[in-house]
Amino acid sequence: MLIEILQQTINGLAIGGVYVLIALGLTTVFGILGIAHFAHGSISMFGGYLTYFLATSQGLPVLAAIPVALAAGILLGVLVEVLAYRPVRNANHINAFIVALGLTMMVEGINLQLFGHEQVVIPTGLSRVFRFGGITVPELRLYVIVAAIVLVVAMMIFVERTKTGQAIRAVAENRDAAILMGVNVRTIPLIVFGMSTALGVAAGIMVGALFAIAPGIGEGLVVKGFAVLILGGLGSFPGAILGGTVLGITESIAAGFISSAYKDVIAFVVMILVLLIRPQGLLGRAP
Amino acid sequence: MLAVRDLRVSYGGIEVVHGVSLDVAAGECVALIGANGAGKSSTLKAICGLVPASGGAITFEGRDITRASGHAIVRAGITMCPEGRQVFPQMSVIQNLRMGAYTRNDSEQEADLSRMMDMFPILRERQSQAAGKLSGGEQEMLAIARALMARPRICLFDEPSLGLAPKIVASVFETLARIKAMGMTILLVEQNSMMALNLADRAYLFEAGQIVMEGAAGALKNHPDVMRAYLGH
Repeated sequence: MLIEILQQTINGLAIGGVYVLIALGLTTVFGILGIAHFAHGSISMFGGYLTYFLATSQGLPVLAAIPVALAAGILLGVLVEVLAYRPVRNANHINAFIVALGLTMMVEGINLQLFGHEQVVIPTGLSRVFRFGGITVPELRLYVIVAAIVLVVAMMIFVERTKTGQAIRAVAENRDAAILMGVNVRTIPLIVFGMSTALGVAAGIMVGALFAIAPGIGEGLVVKGFAVLILGGLGSFPGAILGGTVLGITESIAAGFISSAYKDVIAFVVMILVLLIRPQGLLGRAP
Repeated sequence: MLAVRDLRVSYGGIEVVHGVSLDVAAGECVALIGANGAGKSSTLKAICGLVPASGGAITFEGRDITRASGHAIVRAGITMCPEGRQVFPQMSVIQNLRMGAYTRNDSEQEADLSRMMDMFPILRERQSQAAGKLSGGEQEMLAIARALMARPRICLFDEPSLGLAPKIVASVFETLARIKAMGMTILLVEQNSMMALNLADRAYLFEAGQIVMEGAAGALKNHPDVMRAYLGH
């Protein structure tokens, strides 16, 4: 029983890492621009597809395809900010909302046109399995967990320890005061979209390597990402990290002990229960 | 140093500043006084680039900054300590102070940081606390220290006494007097006209978006109209 729980927890950490990466991107964009960036999941999947395409049709090693996909993701994120969101920045909130929905459909359509509707798996060739006592850990899963931790730590260091990171926080907390500190509030959103999309593409690659990429996966992921934000507490980085991990482990345990068909239902029931007790989320501040 | 000529500011097509001209010389402390809604704060915000000027010109050290963006104006040497303090509430006191030095690349930032905390011992005591947890008076001190961290050539203060208890107001003005004594050029907007006129060298009296009187602070303080309308005599 204990072994089984530990096993499912390890499994849950991998998918939890994906949720955390998606949620951190969403919360940073929301904090700076007040935009619910629904297209985030589909753009992340674009990065996953691109990695698959480069690794298969172009014959690139996966490790070489990943940086190319990350770079393409950053570029795409910056373009999305400049071309789609910036023009509606000072307009009514519903405008950005509609833009975000339209963008999701567009990116899904682009994915479909470029990469087709077949489900694809990124061929990593990582098939070893480590055993610790009675627990089995496929090496791919372990690398995904480690990569997710490294990315999260890197992002926290960037936000907490660098001038640009602090400027991002300052803009999120008080835009006018940030201007008075000399922060260029036109370049900050570019950095935020670049960073968020890079994290998202990393998550998309992880999904493509661990499971599979197919049309609609990105949209499902963005819903989970927002669920994580609410579970963890809106606007809180530690909340997004805890929320994503909790959601991943809950799903995994639910799938292992009850049924994988019900894992999403159970995960959302747990989320609703948490919010009934703590409406502000796990680490959110009380209103 | 700072010259404002025939400045006009509008919000949504409604003009609130109708052609204001004022000057601040290096080392001077100038106060803008007048009733609430007279256009004082809007004038400051236009100087800082937070709101666009709809007409007129603003020059700083001979450079036209009328259409410059907010961050460029800070880099030129103009810093504002805004109305309502506007600290970054979830960032710590020390992170707020470091944000004040955002535009700087020199090596003396840490020295300035400890200088600020010598000047405001409460900030040293509370350095790792979230700024939003400080009292109103402490937040005002933080906002002032944060503005000074930029090493501005001129520092603008927008209603520093607003919403503070009388005892705290007195200590805010003592602080401003110390900053003035350090040789800082100051442009101050303040509803508490008596305090402002006691501190300033010169003052401009605003009424309904225009300057109706200007002169040495002492002269304005003793002017019968000013006394009747703003000083409660």
